[in-house]
Amino acid sequence: MKQQKAIIFDSSTLISFSMNGVTEYLEKLRQVFNGKFIITFDVKGEVIDRPMQIKKFSLEALKLKQLLDKKIIEMPSSVGLNDKEVARRTDEILNMANSTYKDKNRNIHIIDSGEASCLAVSKMLNEKGFITVIAVDERTTRMLGEKPENLGKLLEKRLHVKINPNRNAYNFFKGFRFIRSAELVYVAYKKGLIDLKNGDVLDALLYAMKFKGCAISGDEIKEIKKLA
Amino acid sequence: MQERGNVLRILKETREALKKGDSATIKSLSDQTINTASLTQDPDNIAVAVIVYSLAKIVERHQYQEFRGWKEFYNSVIFSINHAIKDLEAGNDNKIGKDFEIINKQIEKLSGKLKKYIEDVFWKARINKASRIYEHGISMEKTAKLLGITMYELANYAGQARIDDVPLENTLDVRKRIKLAIEMFG
Repeated sequence: MKQQKAIIFDSSTLISFSMNGVTEYLEKLRQVFNGKFIITFDVKGEVIDRPMQIKKFSLEALKLKQLLDKKIIEMPSSVGLNDKEVARRTDEILNMANSTYKDKNRNIHIIDSGEASCLAVSKMLNEKGFITVIAVDERTTRMLGEKPENLGKLLEKRLHVKINPNRNAYNFFKGFRFIRSAELVYVAYKKGLIDLKNGDVLDALLYAMKFKGCAISGDEIKEIKKLA
Repeated sequence: MQERGNVLRILKETREALKKGDSATIKSLSDQTINTASLTQDPDNIAVAVIVYSLAKIVERHQYQEFRGWKEFYNSVIFSINHAIKDLEAGNDNKIGKDFEIINKQIEKLSGKLKKYIEDVFWKARINKASRIYEHGISMEKTAKLLGITMYELANYAGQARIDDVPLENTLDVRKRIKLAIEMFG
């Protein structure tokens, strides 16, 4: 039997799409994806429920709500996950992440519940045999999962304190896989899902994502363009 | 209040710089608040970071001093900082939130352009400080919540602040990440 797939979306990636006014690309990507696009209860709160109450961002929130209403993005229950269990695993991950780095006086709290919930759902789905990736544009969660030692160095460098990492926690965060809005628009571009022409479309898409918060460097954008 | 000694020094130096109208010094003091705010994530430390940065911006814009209500606003800031300093010196750390409230209450009493401008400066200061804390390695969601702003505001600002060209942040070769995305859609 073929393994089921899921992409779990963090708030930061959904925000990059909605603030650029290109949520329809997510819809098109979902149509060619043989799996589910998942958002968690905490992420929904950050990108839909709370901004719906703020005039400046209610349009972006409405666009994302429409994706939810059309089942382009779905809640964890759609893949058989229990909400209470997701909340429990989210707390577990949150506690672990926020005690991974310490200075001499305290634990440094690095992530919050939405980000932790994406890690929890990914882990839970992996346990059920799903192939998962997490779409996250902000870079702290990604660094924690991919190179926690680099995150420790970054904290040390920026905060000007000696960081004592809990290296046992590093193993806990191994195995997560991450993509960003940048890779998603690249796939959309390569699959011919973008109907823009007469210009450097890929460049425009990648920089649009960067300018709305996707943590991608100028060099990485150059590399992606070489692959196109 | 965490890092009390450091905060006390910053508030005292801010007060002196304010009296001289020295926005550059206040700006430099504001930069010094961000490490403590990122590290402790204590609401009072964060409030100090936002207030000092806002004051640097306000002092820099000399034209604000011509508007009606400026004198009352300025006096309330000095009054508030004096109280915060006294409370910190007396070990009454839990009172400094209330001391800073004096500034908010005075802003509420303002009217016209000055009210609009100062509210705007304080709001933008929150977003600026959030961006700086995010730059220090704290996640986007965590930072937005600490500063009481939306992730939309932070993402938009951080995206334009060009903070992602740091080699440490390249945690996976971009070709591998593209390959991963393609495989998922394969």
